[in-house]
Amino acid sequence: MAELRKPDAEFPAYDEAFDRDGSVRPVYAAIVKRFSNFDTAELRRREGIIEEEFRRQGITFTVYGDSQGTERTWPMDLFPRLIAAAEWRDIERGLAQRVTALNRFLADIYTGEGAAMADGVVPEWLVRSSAGFERNAFGVSVPHDAHCVIAGIDLVRDAEGQYRVLEDNLRNPSGISYVIENRAAMTKAFPLVWEDHTVEPVSQYGRMLRTALESVAPTGSGDKPLIVILTPGIYNSAYFEHAFLAREMGVELVEGPDLVVDEHVVYLRTIEGLVPVDVIYRRIDDSFLDPVSFRPDSTLGVPGLLGAMRAGTVTVCNSVGNGVADDKAVHPYVTDLIRYYLGEEPILPNVETYVMWEPDQRDAAFERLDELVVKPVGESGGYGIVIGRDATDEELANARAEIERDPRNWVVQEVVELSTLASLSDDVLEPRHIDLRPFVITGERTQVFPGGLTRVAMRKGSLIVNSSQGGGSKDTWVLADGAASGTGQSNGPAAQGPPR
Amino acid sequence: MRLDIAYRLHFTYAETVSESQNEIRVRPRDDLRQRVLSYRLTTTPATRVLQTRDYFGTTVDHLGVRGPHDDLLVVAEASVETMPAASAPAPVSCERLGDQQFANQHIEYLAPSLHVQWGDLIGEITDWAVNSVDDDVCERVLAIVRSVPTVLTYERGSTSIGVTLEELVDGGRGVCQDFAHLAVGMLRCTGIPARYVSGYLFAVDETVPDSEEESGAPTVAGDTQTADHTGVAGNEFIGEDTFVPTHTAAEPAAVSVQTHAWIEAAVPGFGWYALDPTNGGPVGERHVVIGHGRDYNDVAPVRGVFNGSADAEVDAEVIIAQPTAPVSMVTEPIRRQARVAVSPPADVSAPQQAAQQQQQQQQ
Repeated sequence: MAELRKPDAEFPAYDEAFDRDGSVRPVYAAIVKRFSNFDTAELRRREGIIEEEFRRQGITFTVYGDSQGTERTWPMDLFPRLIAAAEWRDIERGLAQRVTALNRFLADIYTGEGAAMADGVVPEWLVRSSAGFERNAFGVSVPHDAHCVIAGIDLVRDAEGQYRVLEDNLRNPSGISYVIENRAAMTKAFPLVWEDHTVEPVSQYGRMLRTALESVAPTGSGDKPLIVILTPGIYNSAYFEHAFLAREMGVELVEGPDLVVDEHVVYLRTIEGLVPVDVIYRRIDDSFLDPVSFRPDSTLGVPGLLGAMRAGTVTVCNSVGNGVADDKAVHPYVTDLIRYYLGEEPILPNVETYVMWEPDQRDAAFERLDELVVKPVGESGGYGIVIGRDATDEELANARAEIERDPRNWVVQEVVELSTLASLSDDVLEPRHIDLRPFVITGERTQVFPGGLTRVAMRKGSLIVNSSQGGGSKDTWVLADGAASGTGQSNGPAAQGPPR
Repeated sequence: MRLDIAYRLHFTYAETVSESQNEIRVRPRDDLRQRVLSYRLTTTPATRVLQTRDYFGTTVDHLGVRGPHDDLLVVAEASVETMPAASAPAPVSCERLGDQQFANQHIEYLAPSLHVQWGDLIGEITDWAVNSVDDDVCERVLAIVRSVPTVLTYERGSTSIGVTLEELVDGGRGVCQDFAHLAVGMLRCTGIPARYVSGYLFAVDETVPDSEEESGAPTVAGDTQTADHTGVAGNEFIGEDTFVPTHTAAEPAAVSVQTHAWIEAAVPGFGWYALDPTNGGPVGERHVVIGHGRDYNDVAPVRGVFNGSADAEVDAEVIIAQPTAPVSMVTEPIRRQARVAVSPPADVSAPQQAAQQQQQQQQ
């Protein structure tokens, strides 16, 4: 039998599968039982199936600057992450609420009257000094105010098991293709595991996204709007995903030179001639969209695209300038934005974050900086972060000096002990830290795609879940209503059998 | 003062091009100091022009031509009624610049921007410029603006967009954009919010201060001769610089110029105070505002790309006339070549292309 190690009793993090006494949580009962029956060789064999599946399909991700070759097979851990139906319903409501408010915020900034700023919910100077604030987005309106059609919201679970929002990704969130491919690989490797569970399927993603994209087509686009995915090209780390989504949705995958603007209408060059394009799901940065209006050296964009957007003949998704709403320094205000726009209490709390230009918050943070996390606003991927408890006195003094020099550029957060879940490491299944990135789709209305991408830090004790830094992923199951785990019964809406 | 402005932009391509796309910002704005009586923009070949207003309130004409063409002519005509300069602001203590609300309100005009980045050198010359000035924001602004012509010598075609402020000061020469950028940088580094203004100046020599008392035809300056200049390195306008009379009679009624640039500084309790660093003088009824921004990049008269050829020449010319004056001039079209922000696309190496693709952030 493979060993399935329980978390240490004194370990502060919340474990998804075992409670503090070491008993299996009910939702994990059946899966723990099943995995307990596999010996190490069996787990290794099935891990091999998963790896082969990803290799065969060419599902890789790119590590820039890696000397061992830039392409690596997508790492998926074989122990799945399970979320009970009732728990998921709360997450779902919380995410829909949050993304609805964020879309209202973006519309308020770019096409509205700036009410949230005028009413002092978010400082106007903060918005206008954000690197993501895009002045070219002014005057570009989006049907249904769906500025963010595809959002990826990063959730972590604190020591009490409370889900909290770590970060919003409102520009080009990636990872959805892995959600779907993880399910396929899981089904191949564990064809019988589904007998015990009724799991919400993930195969409808393409249809769901397509419907949302169709719904934001400009008025007058007709019944069958032409949608394209605009990719930077094969050298981009997420090119696989761009191609995958084009296939899932049944739309063209294009690069900048495949599109042309004539009299403020975007056309796709085809062998039959030019065909007008209604919706562009772009996976290139704002500043590369159009060399006329943005960076003149962009070879990835479409000259004249901004004019077409302003003319309202084409919708570009996600819209331009969304970076202002996922600015790390705006993050602490999002819960107030929910209250302001929706008149509701936020369902999902933020990871507690302090802003450094408020003297009270700064002083309080400086008092206990050795317990907190200091993050630069302008960086991503973990760069420049100072973790108080691991930092030397000198590093903390430097952080204080940096913050005082430019308070706009830093936030300070409470440490969150990410929850853990059994993952295969060497020959044992033992707890590793995980997070969760669900995807939220907005068209006529806002919907949450079941589950999302669970990322796992494969090194023991590590909190780094990024795949570029050795992180892996897990198939993520949202259990259907009424499907008490371990019963094998299905009363819920989801189909029995492998839920692809 | 009533002024008729004709802005003529002629792109000639070395080879036939298949497409060109442009954003033009040349329409004067409406504000308390000036009123646009008419504005019209036409192109040859004809194309549909989309007019929008940008974040800064500047009117943008978006236009593109698809299909083979060897040249593109854009003509914008505007009639504007301008008013004399407002009086200078009353004295205000520099302490008021420290007011958090004031600073927050002007945050984007206090921070460095693409063409306005400063270091120690700019700090030093700013200190020198304001060194013996009283505790008064307006005096400080004036001292800085007046110091610019002592740091830079006006010289047509001496620079291109993209030089840093430090390079400008080292070189000691510049055109009106450089004067404006340097003034904006000096003002910002001393905590005074400042913005870049693009517009037209009805004057023969932009280095001579506009005299409000003298409201007749502009004085013809000594030897602003027409020597063509060709573009220097870079893809952007170096233009905006030459002022050439369309005739040499004693009483010219029309002048051929290019667009001009000056600055506005925010003075607490007053608002935006406009000054012209190129001549160190006030901004009056001969100045016609197109728009403002953090720097040139926000309000460049022409941004564009074309497809299909390696080189383009652009003649940009502005003729400003006072319709009330006798129109008896000989309008010899004066050809000058200013490199404009147009560029052939995609002449980047494969590694650069790959680098751009990799750079696209997938969150």
